[in-house]
Amino acid sequence: MAEPLGARAVVLRLTARRAGRSAGVWAYAFSLFVGSSALGYAATYKTAAQRRQLVTTFGNNAGVDALIGRAHDISTVAGFTEWRSLGILSLVGAIWGVLLGTRLLRGEEDAGRFELVLVGRTSRGGATAQAVAGLAAGPLVVFVVTAVATAVVGHDSSVAIGAGTATFLALALVVSAVMFAALGALTSQLCPTRRRAAAYGGAAVGISFVIRMVADADPHLGWLRWASPLGWVEQLRPVTAPDGWALAPVALLSLAAAGLAVALASRRDLGASILPDRTAAAARTGLLGGPAGLVVRLGRSGVAAWALAVGGLALIVGFIAKAGGSAITDSPAARRAFARLGDTGTGTRLFLGLTFLLVAALLSLVAAGQISAARSSESDGLLEHLLVRSTRRSTWFLVVAALGVAVVLTCGLVAGTAAWLGQASQHGGVPYGVMVNAGLSLAAPGIFVLGLGALALGVLPRGVDFITYGFVGWSFLLEFIGGIIGLNHWILDTSVFHQLATAPAVSPDWATNGVVMGLGALGIALGMLGFLRRDLRGA
Amino acid sequence: MTAAISCSGLSKRYGELDALAGLDLEIAEGEVYGYLGPNGAGKTTTIRLLLGLIRPTSGSARLFGLDCQREPVAAHRRVAYVSGETNLWPSLTGAETLHLLGRVHGQLDESYRDELISRFDLDPSRKVRTYSKGNRQKVSLIAALMTRADLLLLDEPTSGLDPLMEQAFRHSVHEARERGQTVFLSSHILSEVEALCDRVGILRAGALIEEGTLAEMRHLSALSVEATFDGAVPDLSGVGGVSAVEVVGSVVRCQVRGSIEPLLKVLAAAGVRELLSREPSLEELFLARYGAQSAATDG
Repeated sequence: MAEPLGARAVVLRLTARRAGRSAGVWAYAFSLFVGSSALGYAATYKTAAQRRQLVTTFGNNAGVDALIGRAHDISTVAGFTEWRSLGILSLVGAIWGVLLGTRLLRGEEDAGRFELVLVGRTSRGGATAQAVAGLAAGPLVVFVVTAVATAVVGHDSSVAIGAGTATFLALALVVSAVMFAALGALTSQLCPTRRRAAAYGGAAVGISFVIRMVADADPHLGWLRWASPLGWVEQLRPVTAPDGWALAPVALLSLAAAGLAVALASRRDLGASILPDRTAAAARTGLLGGPAGLVVRLGRSGVAAWALAVGGLALIVGFIAKAGGSAITDSPAARRAFARLGDTGTGTRLFLGLTFLLVAALLSLVAAGQISAARSSESDGLLEHLLVRSTRRSTWFLVVAALGVAVVLTCGLVAGTAAWLGQASQHGGVPYGVMVNAGLSLAAPGIFVLGLGALALGVLPRGVDFITYGFVGWSFLLEFIGGIIGLNHWILDTSVFHQLATAPAVSPDWATNGVVMGLGALGIALGMLGFLRRDLRGA
Repeated sequence: MTAAISCSGLSKRYGELDALAGLDLEIAEGEVYGYLGPNGAGKTTTIRLLLGLIRPTSGSARLFGLDCQREPVAAHRRVAYVSGETNLWPSLTGAETLHLLGRVHGQLDESYRDELISRFDLDPSRKVRTYSKGNRQKVSLIAALMTRADLLLLDEPTSGLDPLMEQAFRHSVHEARERGQTVFLSSHILSEVEALCDRVGILRAGALIEEGTLAEMRHLSALSVEATFDGAVPDLSGVGGVSAVEVVGSVVRCQVRGSIEPLLKVLAAAGVRELLSREPSLEELFLARYGAQSAATDG
């Protein structure tokens, strides 16, 4: 008797359902970003003269090109929307893709749930093929919602983006998620744990981003874009000069990674990895004397990876700051345009101040990650091993918070130092003390996020990830588009980054930073009170 | 002498569900106490309340006279705990995990730890993520036993262990008893409880429905009787205290509660050739208790 499709495709349906759910918030963010970019530009740059100013500023600025991508035809709403959306959202989509692919493949295997479906009428390869196919539901949801939202916004006469163009733009925005989700599925076969699979996938995103940056910073190296998946996305130019051929390497990489993942899944044991794994080791007990040492021991590789990412980004920003800043210094129109975005100051410092928003966002993600790890420790049942022995709840909570603050401050120091090194190599002329001060000031929003997360951990533990990551995303989105579309200051003030002075363009406002960090400390204190009074809770 | 465990009206409510309803419990030092009940009866909830991991809706619990909620750390210094769902840090080795848990507890008998590692046949050099469920359970057991704590709180401790390791576990509990340690063994493996425990409590839907030594519980419960006759099998349906009568050929099986004398008179008059009687096993006691409760509930 023929088996119904539903029974055969149970892994596909389960994975698709989870990927689709995860896509909801991204669909909303992508649509909001594209829509606000288009409408904001149309409302802010109404005259040809205003648009010429913008072209002068961004049209041929190596620094900005390196960060966001080459700006084509930004004297039009459609061109500006393409540039801004592709530059930011393709990177966001790539990171999401890696997390999605590794969570729904290696993460399910680590948790033992994949084993449960494998005992059904399927094979390892078959189940993996279904899971990989199911991943596509995530980008599909984002694509459909973004395409519809863009077409609706495009219907406005001031925007004028047709349905076909809106569809291709939405497709271009999600292909990075498709490629990197497939790569995440592949690293899930290569690595023994989800964390390592995500780290390998993250490294692929980082390398791809750096190649794309180099290609866009120097017109002579434009061919390098073809060596980077994020470069392929840029080559699509869905609005200004659609190039369907750039979809060929996208499809090739996605299919190759997915196919290889399925093939490798058939060739390894469940729970094992293709790359060799150290299954045994001599005991290293140096840090294993108590909760503080344990948190350091377990988190140090992750923190090192984050510090490397923060330092790498800051180094690149510093390296291109002089080139990016010179265009601003040389052009009064450009300076006025920057002032419109809320920045003052000149040259290298102005460029660094503007781009340090990205570094600040990264630092806030570091803080969110610290609290998320603490929550995982509770939901995975690991924390109770400490609390049923001689560890006080308050001790553990304060250890997590204190180490979180230390990590954020260290990353701020790394950011300032790396950016100083980068700009110094190009004789940017910004003193070390100024850069370190600017880097440390980036810790203020991070500590606020840490406090918010600690509060959530204390009173709403199951909402920790949604609250912390959601708040960082919201703040970043507001800060990135708020200046362009002229949002009300009450709304802008809900972004923690909006409280941050654009150091080193201006001196850090330590009074405001103190208030922001004080609120973070208050969140930690209230969170601890809540934690002392509640039950431990699982996932 | 202060009780090792003392609960008074201990309750835990999750929304509409009473996970534990007014538990009164007193366990003396040095006692091995079996805590029985099916899944969802409230066994784990009780232990998590005793450890202060969750807060009671009402009532109180004390370990060696120390309030579980107000003085958890002082209480934990005298306690070791094993959970049935052991999740450990996957990147640490077994040896590193034991070192960490020993240091965090603050009390550790190193030579006994090494003996336990050998007894449970654990390879401590391997990373925890490569361990099977049974091996993770061994780490958790060794971590608890090596502390020589005054009270062992064991929640389904042999989950995932093979029969050989089950024997090693029983041996370890006997050692603990000989040393005067108190053991609170929550389980639904009745043979394990029967072999190890001095006293047993049966939990149902959050309430303690039966408690006593095995002898007491057997005394209150039905005796199984099997009689073989040369001739006709007598009618036992009207005999006082007799129930569950089953006739197969010349053999009759039944349960008798209370005095056996009326039954013996009828059997002797009918010319019984062979008579076997036996006390009920804990499993039979447990099933009988649950069967009676279910019937009452259903009725």
